[in-house]
Amino acid sequence: MSSTAAPARREFDIDRIFLGLCLVVPLAALAIFFAYPLATVFLRSITQQDGNIGVANYIQILNAPSFWRATINSLVMSLATTIAALACGLVVAYAVHRCRVPGRALLIGAVSLPLLAPSLVQGLGLIFLLGRNGILTKATGLEINIYGFWGLLIANGLYALPQAVLIIGAALRAADARIYEAAEILGTSGFRQFIDITLPNIKFGLLSAGFIIFTVTITDFGNAATIGGDYAILATEIYNQVVGQMNFNLGAVVGILLLFPTVIAFYLERVASQRQFGSVSDSAVPLVPVFTPRRDVVMTVAAWLVALLPIVTVVIVVYGSFVWLWPYRFDLTLRHYAVKVAGGYDPLWTTVQISVIAGVIGTALLFTLGIAMQHLPRAAAKPIYFICLLPAAVPGLVLGLAYIFAFNNPILPVYVLYGTATLLAICNVTHYWTQGFLTTMTGLRQVPPTLEETASCLGASQPRLLRDVIVPYMAPTLVSVFFFMFMRSMVTLSAVIFLVTASVSVVSVSIMRLDEAGFTSQAAAYATCTMAIVVAASLLMRASLWLLKRKG
Amino acid sequence: MQLELQNITKMFGNVVALDGVSFTAAAPEFVCLLGPSGCGKTTLLRLIAGLSQPDSGRLLLGGEDLTRIPARNRGFGIVFQAYSLFPNMTVAANIGYGLKIRGAAPANIKKRVGELLDLIRLSHLADRYPYQLSGGQQQRVALARAVAVDPKLLLLDEPLSALDAKVRTELRGEIRELQKRLGILTIMVTHDQEEALMLADRIVCMQHGRIAQVGTPDELYTRPQNRFVADFMGVSNLLDQALVREWAAHLLGGVTPPDDHVACIRPEDIVIRPDLRGARVREVQFLGNLSRLQIEWGGGMLVVQETGRTTLTPGAEVGIHISAENCTWVSPQ
Repeated sequence: MSSTAAPARREFDIDRIFLGLCLVVPLAALAIFFAYPLATVFLRSITQQDGNIGVANYIQILNAPSFWRATINSLVMSLATTIAALACGLVVAYAVHRCRVPGRALLIGAVSLPLLAPSLVQGLGLIFLLGRNGILTKATGLEINIYGFWGLLIANGLYALPQAVLIIGAALRAADARIYEAAEILGTSGFRQFIDITLPNIKFGLLSAGFIIFTVTITDFGNAATIGGDYAILATEIYNQVVGQMNFNLGAVVGILLLFPTVIAFYLERVASQRQFGSVSDSAVPLVPVFTPRRDVVMTVAAWLVALLPIVTVVIVVYGSFVWLWPYRFDLTLRHYAVKVAGGYDPLWTTVQISVIAGVIGTALLFTLGIAMQHLPRAAAKPIYFICLLPAAVPGLVLGLAYIFAFNNPILPVYVLYGTATLLAICNVTHYWTQGFLTTMTGLRQVPPTLEETASCLGASQPRLLRDVIVPYMAPTLVSVFFFMFMRSMVTLSAVIFLVTASVSVVSVSIMRLDEAGFTSQAAAYATCTMAIVVAASLLMRASLWLLKRKG
Repeated sequence: MQLELQNITKMFGNVVALDGVSFTAAAPEFVCLLGPSGCGKTTLLRLIAGLSQPDSGRLLLGGEDLTRIPARNRGFGIVFQAYSLFPNMTVAANIGYGLKIRGAAPANIKKRVGELLDLIRLSHLADRYPYQLSGGQQQRVALARAVAVDPKLLLLDEPLSALDAKVRTELRGEIRELQKRLGILTIMVTHDQEEALMLADRIVCMQHGRIAQVGTPDELYTRPQNRFVADFMGVSNLLDQALVREWAAHLLGGVTPPDDHVACIRPEDIVIRPDLRGARVREVQFLGNLSRLQIEWGGGMLVVQETGRTTLTPGAEVGIHISAENCTWVSPQ
């Protein structure tokens, strides 16, 4: 077993080559599929009609009253949604984590429903309830116009609720029971404890959730497309410039301008999130709420009222898809499942295919990048970390637009990707890169360094170490990242809407087309099929995680 | 097999972690790197393992320069404080992992793993997963995994610190026995002087990234070279020369230590003479098999240790005697 210096050096190089590839491949992917497309958007935004470079497009947009109306609408809508979703999210999260309420898991499941559905489902549900042919509209005889501000507010609120509950819940969980016991002994009332201890402790969590909701809302397209009506916002403005008026460069201008609020909100979110979750004490005694009738009864009612909304919207879409003629004939039928849209169910299978590719590519790239970053000095890892946070600040529509500019150009070699399922998958990977990256890094940080060091001392090379030690240890994280990419890719609309072609299309687009054409029940049928697949994927993920956990 | 460290230096930013460390050790020695936290002992062990690189200095094993050889090609065994068993592998797979990497035949791996399981008396747990084992059992598996590949050097990084007192004492004996039987050159990091005294053939006592003293446990305890070693290796009374000259001049008879050196006298080397006067008992602590007394003498306090229970009570007036052979002159740093 005597090792000589010569072979040692050679194998050493294999490790370095491997780690080098782990670093270069994901970074090259980010350069080609993130940096380059965004640069083209910027370039197009300053390319004037006469072909020269200049700010004429910006001047034209900034002088258009419609742009300012859309901007004000977008800001008002995002602020209103932020306030509403924060309030509702706090109610549910507080009930789940700090009160004794029945059906906690069900509550969490109910508010998470919008994550499993294409973003158009909230809009569809509201149309079934309160639209011109809505069941409540007919029952009450009232003339409610759900298309517009209020409908969009509810739909956006529902869409943002899962994230709000998740982040506020995490902040509420990090509580130290001893502080509350001390307050109790000092004679502090429950309400005072909430005002004086709980709120100050979760304020950065609330801020973080607020900025996330703001970003999600200002960049959302699906809800605005289904239920926004005449309430024009920036996302629909981009879509109209590009698809309606074929004015790509003006669309690019609006896209660049939309980056400002999202980048700022995203930056503030990172700052707030670090303040809230940066230093969690290990020695904290977990808080176990004691049954307090006055508080818990009120909170149970309030939380279930909030949770009822997503349940009702989703259930009514599923139900509506099986009903003969909403809201007149309620006998059950499958006739809406014979969809009258170009391609029929082909897009459903294409989307599954895209989602699997996105899951595989995304997980592989994020994991290898994470591995490489762990071997980099801090000074080199930090800028890469920062770059990996950027995709979250780019609205899906802007990214989609960027992909047209970057890849729909026959003279470039990357044109071979245009119109393929692979490009749509890569677009989704880029779109959801940041969340996947953060999850991967958290998972990697949990691998004890001594485990790697032990394997190294035993003679394991980097690839071997990965296979035998890190991948088994990280398996739950990798499964989570894969299914995250899969499920997001199944339901996303904004980034891919510009990239679909007649032969390669996705479910969200089919649902939108059906809804636009007035086939609301068929849209519901299509959405139900999609949700069935996403729910199945979610169950599969839970089963895999359970199996992994059981194996130890 | 001889390990030789030549003038090893390592910086972390502006902090000097190791400052010109040199020593040699040869099989079948058991060497303890001992010192308080932050003294550089773990850094030194990681450099020997190849898990980090020295800024300057050389590391030789059997005359061969190790400095540029990565950890995985050094063929050492390592055991960490946190067990660090691979959670996805059984006990047997953990022990056999190093052999598997080296491409050993499955039959040979099985045989070797079987021998080692017998040695650590865990044969009945071969198919268990680490989480099903107690801390002591996990650490024994980690030890077996480290020695399975016949390492040229066995490195132990505070292997007993995570265990509770009783298991620690048990495993301490087992480590010593295993090491003797295999005759592997072993280097262990510890901050526990009792552990070092019991296990080591030689102790490398470290302070602020430098070696304070190297020697056998007996040398370090009875003949510390400086105040730090005297203090760190158990309890000591340190008396400056002026005090000694006035109150116990016979300790300076025949020796002329440098001016700044102080006298180091172990508590058990001070004899209490109830028939004499000049000192007063201030406090008595009962420690089971020992009694520890604080005695006012020469304007200061002495710590004195007696075997068993003492009949003296606080306030009693006594005399003390220190014999010259029990006095070691140590440098102040």
